[in-house]
Amino acid sequence: MQDANQGSVDPEFQQGIEDRESSPHEIPSLPVGQWLRQNLFSSWVNSVLTLFGGFLAFFALRGVLNFVFSENRQWDAVRTNLRALMTLSYPESQYIRVWVSLGFVAGLAGLSAGLWANWGGVSVKRVSTWLMGTGGLLAVCVIVREPSVILGSDGKVVRTLEGSLQRESFLDAMVNRSSWWIAAVVLLVAGIVLWRRFASATHRGSELPVTSVVFLGLGLAVLSLWIAPYGHYAFISETKSYVAESGRTVAFSTKLPWTVMLALLCSFFGLGRLLQRSEYGGLIKGASNLLWLVSPLTLFWVVLRDPALDYGHVISTDLPMGLAFGALGGAVLWSLTRTGVGEAGRLVATMLLGFAIFNWVAAFFGWYPMLQKARISFLLLAFAALLAPNFMGEIAKRRQLVLGWLGVTALVHYLATMINTPSTVEVQSSEFLGGLGLTLFVALIVVLLSFPLGVLLALGRTSKFPIFRMLSTSYIEVIRGVPLISVLIFFSVMVPLFLPDGMELAELAAVLTGYTLFSAAYLAENVRGGLQSITKGQYEAADAIGLTAAQRTSFIVLPQALTVSIPQLVGQVISTFKETSLLAIIGLFDFLRVANSVIPAQSEFLGVKREGILLVAIIYFFFNFTISKYSQRLERRVGLGER
Amino acid sequence: MSTDDATTAANDRLADREDMIVCVDVDKFYGDFQALKGVTATIKEGEVAVICGPSGSGKSTWIRCINRLEVHQGGDIVVDGIELTNDLRNIEKIRSEVGMVFQQFNLFPHLTVLDNITLAPIWVRKKPRAEAEAMARALLERVGIPEQAEKFPGQLSGGQQQRVAIARSLAMEPRVMLFDEPTSALDPEMIKEVLDVMKELAMSGITMMVVTHEMGFAREVADRIMFMEGGEIVEVGTPEHFFTNPTEDRTKLFLSQIL
Ligand SMILES: Nc1ncnc2c1ncn2[C@@H]1O[C@H](COP(=O)(O)OP(=O)(O)OP(=O)(O)O)[C@@H](O)[C@H]1O
Ligand SMILES: [Mg+2]
Repeated sequence: MQDANQGSVDPEFQQGIEDRESSPHEIPSLPVGQWLRQNLFSSWVNSVLTLFGGFLAFFALRGVLNFVFSENRQWDAVRTNLRALMTLSYPESQYIRVWVSLGFVAGLAGLSAGLWANWGGVSVKRVSTWLMGTGGLLAVCVIVREPSVILGSDGKVVRTLEGSLQRESFLDAMVNRSSWWIAAVVLLVAGIVLWRRFASATHRGSELPVTSVVFLGLGLAVLSLWIAPYGHYAFISETKSYVAESGRTVAFSTKLPWTVMLALLCSFFGLGRLLQRSEYGGLIKGASNLLWLVSPLTLFWVVLRDPALDYGHVISTDLPMGLAFGALGGAVLWSLTRTGVGEAGRLVATMLLGFAIFNWVAAFFGWYPMLQKARISFLLLAFAALLAPNFMGEIAKRRQLVLGWLGVTALVHYLATMINTPSTVEVQSSEFLGGLGLTLFVALIVVLLSFPLGVLLALGRTSKFPIFRMLSTSYIEVIRGVPLISVLIFFSVMVPLFLPDGMELAELAAVLTGYTLFSAAYLAENVRGGLQSITKGQYEAADAIGLTAAQRTSFIVLPQALTVSIPQLVGQVISTFKETSLLAIIGLFDFLRVANSVIPAQSEFLGVKREGILLVAIIYFFFNFTISKYSQRLERRVGLGER
Repeated sequence: MSTDDATTAANDRLADREDMIVCVDVDKFYGDFQALKGVTATIKEGEVAVICGPSGSGKSTWIRCINRLEVHQGGDIVVDGIELTNDLRNIEKIRSEVGMVFQQFNLFPHLTVLDNITLAPIWVRKKPRAEAEAMARALLERVGIPEQAEKFPGQLSGGQQQRVAIARSLAMEPRVMLFDEPTSALDPEMIKEVLDVMKELAMSGITMMVVTHEMGFAREVADRIMFMEGGEIVEVGTPEHFFTNPTEDRTKLFLSQIL
């Protein structure tokens, strides 16, 4: 009876789901003429609007094209300054570090993409529409751009007797642009061929894997570096001269690293795919998450510092002292977690805290010298001692506390040692890393660091402990009440005062700190929105199956809350990325500032600004558009679980 | 009150069993409002107790007190010899011994059916994943939906979801199962498939407390029926006693309305 019942319910139900799945957003396709009539010319108002919009688009496109291809543009200013736009005056001899960092990120990105590889497909129809659309747009561009000015044999413009410019005839222009025509036709044909294949396919919605499409695109782009005559443009710093050779492929020092980057991305993607299905998939996912978390610090060291460690000192002094402190502190914590320790434990912990705080007071008044590292270590030990009652009893728990404390202390010691040691990267001025490199560097680090902080703040603000709630709420409200620019100025002026001697790059480190703290407050609010959308039933179900509060938060609450807040989180990432241009105000040379004030100050390109700014705008747009598209895709894919 | 008589009159089959759940004078307040007024009852190991009563009588509140989803203010609750106090360790222990099935299923929508079931065994019981998955599949088989393992809850019908919820609770190998109106959110044609699973469970000898209005189920499966009203247990008895000659007027009134 039960079986019969099931038999009658389930298949229908499943059928319904499969139907929905196979055609998520299928729009019935109409013949072109009919589509035009229905969408653009359905009424006379609509027709007028269409025509008006069409004219606007036409003039805008024509204006941009004429601007870009005008004989007045000095694109050499951008081309020869590409390195300045990317990294400004980062020492050429140290360039390998930038590539190493980029390679690290590429590999990690590939690995993560592979590990979570469930990217789904993109319909062939969609791809062919892109191809045809791009081809068509290219063709339109070729036609609407006004014919070029005729240049004489000396490369100067030829003028008529009255002094007006002479332009080639329309026909000549079309012929001269034959290479563009070819590109447009190739794209169109490729699109049509795909469409045809698709139309003849028997089952609806045939799809290509997204990853193949993306890797194919990237592969073609990198391949073109090796064969397409983009030209070789550079500024040679030894001779202080500009190179501009058209008709060649790009320099070897450009195409080789990019090829390596792509290879890293692809091979780590493959590795991720393999590992995903292996037994250790979960473990490796965790490890790659951890790598993302520590990558900002790693990159910071690799790109900006790589300090010249005095290993003699490290081995003779730092290590023994650190080990002794670790052993002593470990023993104290171990005894504080004994079951019968009672009031005495609390007393010891309080005394430790008192001593730790006294060290800072003493530092303020200069009563006795002490390493900053030691002050921080004592404070950490005091905190761990205060936590001791929670870890009382079983050996495993006690070990947890001691090992956790040891780990944090080791990390702090490592960082403090690195910061206190002079950097081997030669720093001429704050100009030394700039351009897109700085922009991406700051954006990546701020996003990666502020994300966990923001999540913690959001959890704090919704916690049932009033003290956490109060602290997080006041932090968030204070930060949100202050403009970013003032936070940045505050940190670039104030933080260096607190830093020990010998730490260079204080400016950038301080700015990163301030920006991270700022961005975290906004992220926290977005995450909180998501947290509020989780129903009480989810908490109860998690409790009822016996999950601890931490497990409930990380397996049930946060995944759902973060999924809900993807759109807002991505919005925050995008605005973090764009607002890096405020770095210019506190004296750093971000991407925009290089284009806006560094290049126009060069004697060869005095006042040449617009080219660079246009390029900067396009690159900003490219990044943000990609992020936003990706997030839409992510939303749709994780939404699967929600239906 | 006839409570004491009825308790001793409970099914012979349970006469020599251990006490599984013992509630003594349990009080529960929501602000000034007293939702439970001195609830006293003992449920034996392997017993199936059905709780019924009008809306707002405190049925949900009571069974939610038993796994500490609600905190009681007066009296004692002892589950399998463990007393429910503020001690976190006791709460953890009890929650891993007591499974609960909710009216609204409360499955985790972002996890597949399989992950919903294996989550607690892996993280609370520390079972190896392979073992947990094998058990989950066996449980899905038991509740009659082995083919739905890879789906998300949102892709299942209500009855299937509730059966997954039951499997999720069973995965912790609980000694007690609490059901709070497990079929009230279901369409009539799906009620039966869930009740069938619950009947099979009852036969298997697990201790069950079931809040339900399904009187057919109560008559067939229950060892005892408890009738609550106004935060008190008004009448307790075997199904036979309960349906044929209830002693309390309030029980009679309730039965006349529901049957
Ligand atoms: N969180 C709460 N805050 C305040 N009062 C509550 C809360 N939960 C329940 N109550 C009250 O406690 C009483 C008992 O509620 P309970 O949910 O236990 O009833 P019930 O018997 O399960 O009813 P139903 O059959 O409608 O589910 C009701 O009067 C209800 O209004
Ligand atoms: Mg209820």
